[in-house]
Amino acid sequence: MTRRWIGAGLALLLGAAVAAALVLGNREGSGLTVVRGVIGSEKKPFFDDPQVKAAFAKHGLQVEVDTAGSREIAGSVDLSAYAFAFPSSAPAAEKIKKDRGANVTFSPFHSPMSVATFQPIVDTLTKAGVVTGETFDIRKYLDLVAKGTRWDALPGSSYQARKRVLLTTTDIRTSNSAAMYLAMTSYVANGDDVVTSADRSAQVAEAVAPLFLDQGYSESTTEAPFEDYLAMGMGKTPMVMIYEAQYAAHLFAADGAIRPEMRLLYPSPTVLSKHTLVPFDEPATRVGRLLTEDPEFAALAARYGFRTANPQVFAGLAKNTPLTTNLVNVVEPPTYDHLEQLISLIEERYLKP
Amino acid sequence: MRRVPLVARVALAGALALTGAGACSGGEEPLRVLAGSEVKDLEPLLKESGLNVELTYTGTLDGAEQVASGGADGRYDAIWFSSNRYLSLIDGARERLSTQTKVMVSPVVLGLKPAKAAELGWDSAPPSWSDIAAAATAGRFTFGMTNPASSNSGFSALVGVAAALSDAGDALSAEQIHAVTPQLKGFFSAQRLTSGSSGWLADAYARSPGVDGLINYESVLRGMNLTLIYPSDGVVSADYPLTLLAASPKKAEYDRLATWLRSGDVQRKIMTTTFRRPIVPGIGSEKPVLELPFPNRRSAADELIGAYLNEVRVPARARFVLDTSGSMEGERIDALRQALVTLTGADTSASGTFSRFRNRERVTMIPFNDTPRPPSAFTLPERDPEPALREIRSFAEGLRAGGGTAIFDALRTAYQEPVEPGHYTSIVLMTDGENTDGSTAADFDAFFRGLPEGQRMVPTFVVLFGDSDVEEMTAIANLTGGAVFDARTGSLAAAFKEIRGYQ
Repeated sequence: MTRRWIGAGLALLLGAAVAAALVLGNREGSGLTVVRGVIGSEKKPFFDDPQVKAAFAKHGLQVEVDTAGSREIAGSVDLSAYAFAFPSSAPAAEKIKKDRGANVTFSPFHSPMSVATFQPIVDTLTKAGVVTGETFDIRKYLDLVAKGTRWDALPGSSYQARKRVLLTTTDIRTSNSAAMYLAMTSYVANGDDVVTSADRSAQVAEAVAPLFLDQGYSESTTEAPFEDYLAMGMGKTPMVMIYEAQYAAHLFAADGAIRPEMRLLYPSPTVLSKHTLVPFDEPATRVGRLLTEDPEFAALAARYGFRTANPQVFAGLAKNTPLTTNLVNVVEPPTYDHLEQLISLIEERYLKP
Repeated sequence: MRRVPLVARVALAGALALTGAGACSGGEEPLRVLAGSEVKDLEPLLKESGLNVELTYTGTLDGAEQVASGGADGRYDAIWFSSNRYLSLIDGARERLSTQTKVMVSPVVLGLKPAKAAELGWDSAPPSWSDIAAAATAGRFTFGMTNPASSNSGFSALVGVAAALSDAGDALSAEQIHAVTPQLKGFFSAQRLTSGSSGWLADAYARSPGVDGLINYESVLRGMNLTLIYPSDGVVSADYPLTLLAASPKKAEYDRLATWLRSGDVQRKIMTTTFRRPIVPGIGSEKPVLELPFPNRRSAADELIGAYLNEVRVPARARFVLDTSGSMEGERIDALRQALVTLTGADTSASGTFSRFRNRERVTMIPFNDTPRPPSAFTLPERDPEPALREIRSFAEGLRAGGGTAIFDALRTAYQEPVEPGHYTSIVLMTDGENTDGSTAADFDAFFRGLPEGQRMVPTFVVLFGDSDVEEMTAIANLTGGAVFDARTGSLAAAFKEIRGYQ
């Protein structure tokens, strides 16, 4: 008899515990479907934005992100821990799609590669024929670099540094923005043509490798050199290759980070960084679709400086800013395999003493 | 101003928990951060964060090796050194790092006594590194700098000088380093003080009225009465990146700390209390400095440190006063042999390689028990040090324990050796017990005070081991301007390696 009572009491207690766990569980997860993704670091502020989180919550989603370089996402990151990958370039996404057998990708936003610099540098490079208006001529720049030109050797240079004239980039071995820079410089070094063959790669890599190696130490994420540009100014980073979105986000936020002497230039040719989401399951596909099709997300993304499917959104924000809405000379990056081959050829040179 | 306690405990550091008063941090596990001693001055500020952060200090190179080898994974959540640059050059290290957040900036510059700066005309027109090197070569000023193999400020300065002198305008290669070695030699002939840490360097400087200035972080020099010289061709700066380890699950806690450190208020406090430059734009008003390129190959960085140690620096005269009394019998004498063998190149890790006895160095061994044994000197040649290293190794392996402990007689013998100008002389005293034979501490005190000035400038670095008399050993370090290293709980080899940074 006693035994039965104990048993019943225990059952009651257990039932209460299960109910409590259910209530607590609901409160903790808010009933949202958690979708984990690995993304390029430049999109992190967007995903961290409370408004973006709220917009996802409206659709029953909670998106959590880790950051990694696009090349790592396509190569070394264990993607099985994630529901989607969101690298910053089409070639990396193309590779992930193939590797993982995904049947759909989304390209909700893009951003042209651009050069953040300062007025005295613009003046000096204008005299040297590299800059015309807002356009940074890659061909003429490559000629300057090939001659080993230093800043203080340029006629009428108002930047008296004995450093070489070199754009600051991230590490080509890890970061997508450097790979996009490689895409545009390899195009020019290949006689204004996309590199499409292995035998051209060797020659082109030889020509463009000094652009990376001669800089010395480079940071592994796109935020770091842009941060140096903003905080430490011309002394450390006279000109830096960035996504236009990085600069535009500060302009749109009017947060004072972009000071009066700062300038944004567009390389000619330039390359678009197409942020491409590769989903591995259904909720992640919903994330991709929302980002691409829902105007609320497009408006939020534009505030972070991205260009979206509807050009009017960006154009509206860019009015009365130095940002340009019509890009003239845009070229395609090489395919993943060719880009990867160029990077590997440059990587080999880092290993030589 | 006192900067650093005499007990330097870098390699053997204990952890310091900074549990704040924040409501939500009570029971949760702390964010464990492996840090460089350079960020120690931020402890009071961190306490205001209300976040549960635990800092453990280690040397830059040791920390880099721990991270690169995976030894830091699981034990720490984040790292915080003055720079991640050398670390990032080590194969496999980058994969172990996740998000990094730069917190503040401080360039490495030259600080000179105001009268000396005026005499050289550098207070009005900033010189280039070549001008500075020429003045140093001509003996027009002297300075102190930390050891580039153990401290980031010394390494940054060395990179800056070499990059500027090479005049190549781009990243240093092994070839360029070779080409500038003669000029570097001239530059560093003016170096009078070396140190394994920035803090001890400042102490040593305060005791050395004959030294004209220091090369160190701007933030350290601004706290002293010095004229700061920003070389016209540029400098290398530290940017203090708080970096999450990829293996850590504490991303949210890391994010909270990083966000707090970069908030406007905290950035302003960092600027006003530590003299470092804020990383968040729009807060500081310091004139930006020109930044020199940093090497992008580990081989170049190591080549530069190797050239400094073997060819460029003022050669060391290192005297080891070693207790071989009966109480050392067994494990202890084994540990001593092992510690000495480590310094002969047996340790092939980066920190081991850089702490070995260097070319052009003279190492004098003074083992003692009831009485000191006659000093045995080993001189390493300019090239091909291997035969000399082998001799030291076999000497170390031949050490036997037995007899009493005549600490002060032995130390006296070390101080009686002549001091050669143009060399950097120091003494290491290792003992595992109390003085039982010969002269007393008081006798030594009187003897030391009667020495000629040159000999009195020689510091003694004491190593606590076994049952050392802490008070008596600390008194020796204080008297001679040395420092105390504690090997009672850690390994003797680690303590010896750390002391090498001060020799």
